[in-house]
Amino acid sequence: MSTDRELRKGSAETLILALLEERDRHGYEIAKLIGQRSGGAITFHVASLYPTLYRLERRNLIQGRWVEQAGMRRRRFYRLTAAGRKGLHAQRRSWSAFFAALNRVAGIGHA
Amino acid sequence: MPDWKALVRARLGAIPLDPARAADIVDELAQHVAQHCADLKSAGRDDDEAMREALRALGDPARLAADLAKADRPRSTTPAPPESSSSAFGGLMRDAAYAVRLLRRAPGFAATALLTLALGIGANTAIFSVLNAVLLRPLPYADPDRLVLLGERGPTGFPNNVGYTTFLDWRDRTRGFEELTLIRSWNPTLIVNGQAERVSGMRVAANFFRTLGVQPAIGRDFTPMDDTPAGSQVVILSDGEWRRTFAADPGIVGRPITMNGLPFTIIGVMPPTFEPLISERFYTRADMWAPVGYATSLAYACRSCQHLKAIGRLKPGTTIEAARADADAVQASLRREHPTDYAPSTMTLIQLEEALTGEIRPVLGVLMGAVGFVLLIACANVASLLLARIARRERDLALRAALGASRARIVRQLMVESGLLAIAGGLLGLIVSFVTVPLLVHLAPSTMSRLAGARTDGRALAFSMGLSLATAFLFGLLPAIKASRTNLQTSLHGDGRKSGQEATSIARRLLVGADIAMAVVLLIGAGLMIKSVGRLIDVNPGFDPEHVLSMQISLVGPAYAKNDAVLAKIDAIVTRLRALPGATGVAAAGQIPLGGNGDTWGFHFQGRPVSPDDPSVERYAVTPDYFAVMRIPLVRGRLLAITDSAATENVMLIGEHTARTLWPNADPLGQHVKIGGDTGPWRTIVGIVGDVRHQDLATTPTMQMYLPQSQNTDSFLTLVIRTHGDPSQLVNDARRAIAAEAPDVPVFQIAPLTELVERSIGPRRFVMVLLELFGGLALLMTAVGVYGVISYTVAARTREIGIRTALGARPADIVRLVIGGGFTIVCSGLVAGLALAFAASRFLESSLYSVSSTDPATFAGVAIVLMTVALAAQAIPIVRAMRIDPTVALRQE
Repeated sequence: MSTDRELRKGSAETLILALLEERDRHGYEIAKLIGQRSGGAITFHVASLYPTLYRLERRNLIQGRWVEQAGMRRRRFYRLTAAGRKGLHAQRRSWSAFFAALNRVAGIGHA
Repeated sequence: MPDWKALVRARLGAIPLDPARAADIVDELAQHVAQHCADLKSAGRDDDEAMREALRALGDPARLAADLAKADRPRSTTPAPPESSSSAFGGLMRDAAYAVRLLRRAPGFAATALLTLALGIGANTAIFSVLNAVLLRPLPYADPDRLVLLGERGPTGFPNNVGYTTFLDWRDRTRGFEELTLIRSWNPTLIVNGQAERVSGMRVAANFFRTLGVQPAIGRDFTPMDDTPAGSQVVILSDGEWRRTFAADPGIVGRPITMNGLPFTIIGVMPPTFEPLISERFYTRADMWAPVGYATSLAYACRSCQHLKAIGRLKPGTTIEAARADADAVQASLRREHPTDYAPSTMTLIQLEEALTGEIRPVLGVLMGAVGFVLLIACANVASLLLARIARRERDLALRAALGASRARIVRQLMVESGLLAIAGGLLGLIVSFVTVPLLVHLAPSTMSRLAGARTDGRALAFSMGLSLATAFLFGLLPAIKASRTNLQTSLHGDGRKSGQEATSIARRLLVGADIAMAVVLLIGAGLMIKSVGRLIDVNPGFDPEHVLSMQISLVGPAYAKNDAVLAKIDAIVTRLRALPGATGVAAAGQIPLGGNGDTWGFHFQGRPVSPDDPSVERYAVTPDYFAVMRIPLVRGRLLAITDSAATENVMLIGEHTARTLWPNADPLGQHVKIGGDTGPWRTIVGIVGDVRHQDLATTPTMQMYLPQSQNTDSFLTLVIRTHGDPSQLVNDARRAIAAEAPDVPVFQIAPLTELVERSIGPRRFVMVLLELFGGLALLMTAVGVYGVISYTVAARTREIGIRTALGARPADIVRLVIGGGFTIVCSGLVAGLALAFAASRFLESSLYSVSSTDPATFAGVAIVLMTVALAAQAIPIVRAMRIDPTVALRQE
């Protein structure tokens, strides 16, 4: 497994968790928000998004449920669980440490 | 609008998941694609383009299907139960297979862990089997919890014996019992094919077997008609006696036999399953039962003729307390009616089960506690091994977590490994138990009656398996939880490893400290017992048991009705035995010390009225050579002589303790006393001899007196023969000599006196040997534990030690570095262990002799032994540490 892919996977999870921290969202919304907020630098396609969502769900970090609104099709919304919230905080900390290290070593700062 | 679901499904093909879940996924993806398409269209793309681009986002459909399935699969194939049992089981099996592979890759670890567990679980299963046989197995009688032993409360709280007439009043007046029955000892001489055999038996009331709820397998039970002076010459045989002596004769019922010179008729045979536990506990294991056959007119049926034991079966629903209160009221009224026959006392009822097992209970409790400690040490050791292993596997576990293994999943995997180890250890432990239980039975003193039935049975199997699983939790949970806390990123990157290992090593140190503490407790227990038994062996019994053979004979029946006949026969037997090559002296005595029998008589002084408060003195009626054979020293006066006969002055000797106690300020020599009531002749004290320990070696000498057989004749006698060499080589010659002289006299309980001494130490020695064994095991496991932790520390600090050496640290510094940590663990464990032992050793108190349960020498000795072993266990790792070559160490990593 390449470091690149490891990193991507780790970051994808963090991104999803972070978006769900704000409120419950469905898959398409998550993909769209990641694209928008990263200014298009990070894009999530179905192929990478849904396996990640299901994996997070299986690890009980997020929980999906079908929600039906009047006059609309039912949609699957995802919600951050308590464990997910904890995991997100842990990941934020380790990413900060990681960037601090990158900064010190390679002069890569983060915003 | 296109059918997105159909489009998505067509592209993905079959997702290898449960169809309902797959449909859900398709639904969700279809919505995504639909909305994506809609967004693209509102951004200005045309329909076809938007649709193509939205669908393109699915990527490689086959791979997506596989990825989705992989990400989703462990959840379930059917959504109804969250995890179906079959897939959970499959997961367990996969975990188990993986665990087996891992264990096979680490044979050293697996062997150490398995051996440790096998010994720990095996020792527990073995002791449990014994405990089960002796204490937990219910008595083999109907509703055994309703059976009680009753009587006036004796000095130790045990019910006293009862006289026949008193018993009849109890039976008629008490209301708490369904049945009330009676037993006494009986050892008749049976003549079969011209050979005299002494049979162990019991005289019982007619309802004895009915009270126990058992019936003869052949023939009939006793009836009230049998239990009369005229009808009592009927017997029921044990299955063993029927097979041994009567060749399992199917027509046995009605067969006449001769016992004690009287005709008896066999009326029944007990089933082979009948266990004569009552006789075994109070007399000797019975092979024959006959009715008591008393009538109140008989002299020995009097109210104060207390030689019978009363056993009752409580009515259903009646408590022991209620029955006791009722019996108390009855006894109080008897005391009012017959004030001279009864001393003021209360009644006591104890469960028969307790009466039969009371003595061994605390012993087994101590042993169970001891093996419990052994198992805890084993658990601590295995936990410590697992922790070390997990520290080594940290990277592997982190990788598994990175690949999506949840924390629960990792804990499960590790617990499956522990469980597998424990079950395998438990199975090995069963083998250990199978092998050791017969050894234990062999080692156990014969007084532990039900122990012979001990075996590793289904209950022991269940116990050991339950124990194994509990063990797995004990030693597996801590490492598993620790492992699951492993932080992914830090572990993979390596910078968190140190802190993880630090925590692991602290946990391992704590475990080793606990090891040491528990080993201290066990060793102190063993040390106290060793000291007790040593002191007992050193006790002077008052006679010289070396090179003396003892055997019992009984001269009963019409031929021996007169004392003259008995004396003549004793004389003839003694003369014949004395002629045997190798015999240097022969004597006969009514009883001998440590022989398990006793005969205490009232002792009455001249010039004072006979009173119930007069002292009781142990009586020995002996032939004159007894003192020479037993080497009991004469202190003052003279010994007994051949010239002391029925026709001459009645004389006696007393023991030193008797002399000191009864004549503290006067000379007992020449004093006149009567024994056993007012009717006998006056006897003159002519000598004082040394005291002997009669009851057992731990009991200080009681008051004792010696009378000539010629003036106080017994029909049950013990012959003592002093020999040149090994006394057991004389057994056959002695038997032949007696058979030639008196074919109607049975010879039994043949044993060298040293064996009687040994038997008296038996129960303590049993506990001692086992505690020694467990203590040794604990010491070994502790040494392994200390060795493991220290060598692991050395291995983990190789680099550091290398750097220190390179920077000029001397070997002494390295030793200090390595030992420093070890020393703290050893000392803390030691202190904790000493404190624990201080609290726990009082449970041993009843088994100790002349040693305090907090004996400072033992405590100090154990501390030194453990310190030494713990330091020695560190020697190898320390040497290894000193040999670390800095260049090699620094090149690592």
